Amino acid sequence: MARVEDLSAPPVARAADGERGRGLNAAARVAARSFSLVLLLVAWELIARSGKVTPFMLPPLSAVIARIYDDATSGVLWANLGLTLFRAMVGFFIAAAGGIALGAGMSRLRPMRWFFDPLISIGFPMPKIAFLPIIMLWLGVYDVSKICMVVFDAIFPVVTATLAGLAAVDKELIWSARNMGAREHELIWQVALPAALPQILTGLQVALPIALIVEIVVEMAMGGYGLGAAMMSASRFADSRGVFAGIVEVAIVGYALIKVMAAIRRRLLLWHHEAQAVI
Amino acid sequence: MNGHAQIVVEEVSHTYRPLRGRPVRALADVSLEVRSREFFALLGPSGCGKSTLLYLVGGFFPTESGRILVDGKPVAAPGADRGIVFQHFALFPWKTVQANILYGLERQGMPRAEREARARALVDLVGLRGFEDSYPSQLSGGMKQRTAIARTLAIDPSILLMDEPFGALDAQTRALMQTELLGIWRRTPKTVIFVTHDVQEAVYLADRVAVMSARPGRIKTIVETRFGDRDPGLIRTPEFVEKVDEIWNLVRIEAIKAQDREAP
Amino acid sequence: MTRAIVRYLPLLILALAWEAAARLSLFSSLALPPLSGIATAWADLIRDGELLDNGLTSIYRGAAGLMLAVAIGGGLGVAMASSRAVNVLLAPLVEIFYPLPKSALIPVTALWLGFGDGSKILLIFLGCMIPVTIGAYNGARGSDQVLFWSARSMGAGRLRTLWDVVVPSALPEMLNGIRTALALSFILLVSSELISAQRGFGYLIGYLGDTGSYPGMFAVVLTVAFLGFAADRLFQLLMGWLLRWRE
Repeated sequence: MARVEDLSAPPVARAADGERGRGLNAAARVAARSFSLVLLLVAWELIARSGKVTPFMLPPLSAVIARIYDDATSGVLWANLGLTLFRAMVGFFIAAAGGIALGAGMSRLRPMRWFFDPLISIGFPMPKIAFLPIIMLWLGVYDVSKICMVVFDAIFPVVTATLAGLAAVDKELIWSARNMGAREHELIWQVALPAALPQILTGLQVALPIALIVEIVVEMAMGGYGLGAAMMSASRFADSRGVFAGIVEVAIVGYALIKVMAAIRRRLLLWHHEAQAVI
Repeated sequence: MNGHAQIVVEEVSHTYRPLRGRPVRALADVSLEVRSREFFALLGPSGCGKSTLLYLVGGFFPTESGRILVDGKPVAAPGADRGIVFQHFALFPWKTVQANILYGLERQGMPRAEREARARALVDLVGLRGFEDSYPSQLSGGMKQRTAIARTLAIDPSILLMDEPFGALDAQTRALMQTELLGIWRRTPKTVIFVTHDVQEAVYLADRVAVMSARPGRIKTIVETRFGDRDPGLIRTPEFVEKVDEIWNLVRIEAIKAQDREAP
Repeated sequence: MTRAIVRYLPLLILALAWEAAARLSLFSSLALPPLSGIATAWADLIRDGELLDNGLTSIYRGAAGLMLAVAIGGGLGVAMASSRAVNVLLAPLVEIFYPLPKSALIPVTALWLGFGDGSKILLIFLGCMIPVTIGAYNGARGSDQVLFWSARSMGAGRLRTLWDVVVPSALPEMLNGIRTALALSFILLVSSELISAQRGFGYLIGYLGDTGSYPGMFAVVLTVAFLGFAADRLFQLLMGWLLRWRE
């Protein structure tokens, strides 16, 4: 995965040691990033007002914010946001549970592994969104098919990560647990899965943005309210403020979800490392 | 072999300023002269700044205080007159042995037939015939270093800067490479600045050895180490052993100082 | 050879099960056309040119958008790694747009450029640039200082060294970024064509679905899915060849 956080590191082609540098600590970097965000927003406003682009092509940030505010007060924003999040999260949780179960099953049972392996390896690089019309044919045009599409897309990274995490579990851990009398299901729940947790969490961290993206696309294709549907309908009605408002809203949701996942990961792995330290 | 002073280092100091942490003074008022076609060794404990001095002569860092003159002109940037060989070979991993050697020749604008011929000659010189189309990942350490040397020699620089070139090799390979290097140097005489922390290596290879102090590096003393015949048997002769002893005593104090500094 | 067959046997079993279920009318024949029917429909679509026509349009859009993303995104990533000024300017932009779900760009590109080739190419270009830029940036940053110095001391100027040393050093990570971008380009292409288009694979799928020609619809869906898979495999082969110098 890309190390996005390292983007403000020093460049390569200078004699790096000879440079006079500022000591950047964590707080300073956060400040730098917020500053850049502010700069970007200011640039947006100025360019939009400069007359170089039409208000249609790039509505001013102030107008977009006003629009978001209107939608918030009228309740439209929350209705759409709620629907999108609901469907995306339901799909995500089903994919998470199903993916971990499938991965665990594949890791323990040879026949299961044999059967699903080609499906996973072929399915991964496929644009699974292409199957949406088939899912609509089978399951109709309401929430069920939307959630189903999300599950279909989000389950792959979870399965792969679970498989990888379980494969990397130290054999000796399992052997000693077995030696102490642990039974099959105890082995899985109390030894293997916790040991594989970091990697499984990584898989979940990949799956969550996928769930959001797919949900938004599916709404754009099928309609029926939600942030994606609202954006697409704004686009069809040449409502550029609505389109940009949607981008800002989706960006904030996407960013928030990533942050929440990262915090959950830190919390869960804190427990994980402490438990290992106690042993 | 003694010529005029080709490289002049005058009161050079250098400080590293990392982005995080405090500045480190690597060199303090270093002055020395290297004569044309001389084999000159820079010897000292780790962290004494000998590599830094080498890189300054190479033009990879700007000189902050003091001057470095090569052939009378101040050093401003890297150049093809000062070839460099690194400890970890610095070969382009995506190029074959042949392509690596050709690189400098291509930059010099040599016509194709001429550079292919020259590359072939160099491959023979370092004994790598048959491996021209191998990638560095397929070569042993010794072979990689021979490729690196061939690559640097290709553009015939008048000065050779070598930064612990045999440090990453095992003892036997190192001994063989030392003899080979001397052979090459005798055939195509160049001015060599050779950085090492190995006293025996320095005394064996060099005409003069500059002993550097622990950080911040200064030139403690310069010792003449020219022996008449430099065949491998030399290292067992009493004169040689005495010389190594003499220099080791000079270095030992600095090595202890350097270690104490690293200690918690 | 037998190992490959054993490995992919489940797919064959599924295919047979599909055919059997369809023929035994276990499901409505509309919902699950037999594979043989799908194959026939596929042949028909090839014959009357529909599949090729729309297919080439889609492939053109995807390729154009992706190539722009690779060239410009790669260049920007290397520039960010090599110049402090460029880094300060662009790094915040990349960090801000990285978490944005790229599909959110579909309505705005449609708003600006309508439903034709232009909007799709712009969409894929914008959406795929980020993974390429990040890959190129990380790869270029990892480039070894001593390689740079060696090249300089052999007479290469600064710009020349950028091309000779930094770009090849960045290649492995950049190729990984391009692989991600490749998959993303398929997703964005199919999505935008399903949502709003007058030509292309996605459009064809929608059209066949609307007119009830389900065997044909299935045929095109499977074709697109397969193309996505094949593109990834082919790219992996290309990567293997380009990086053959690694251990």
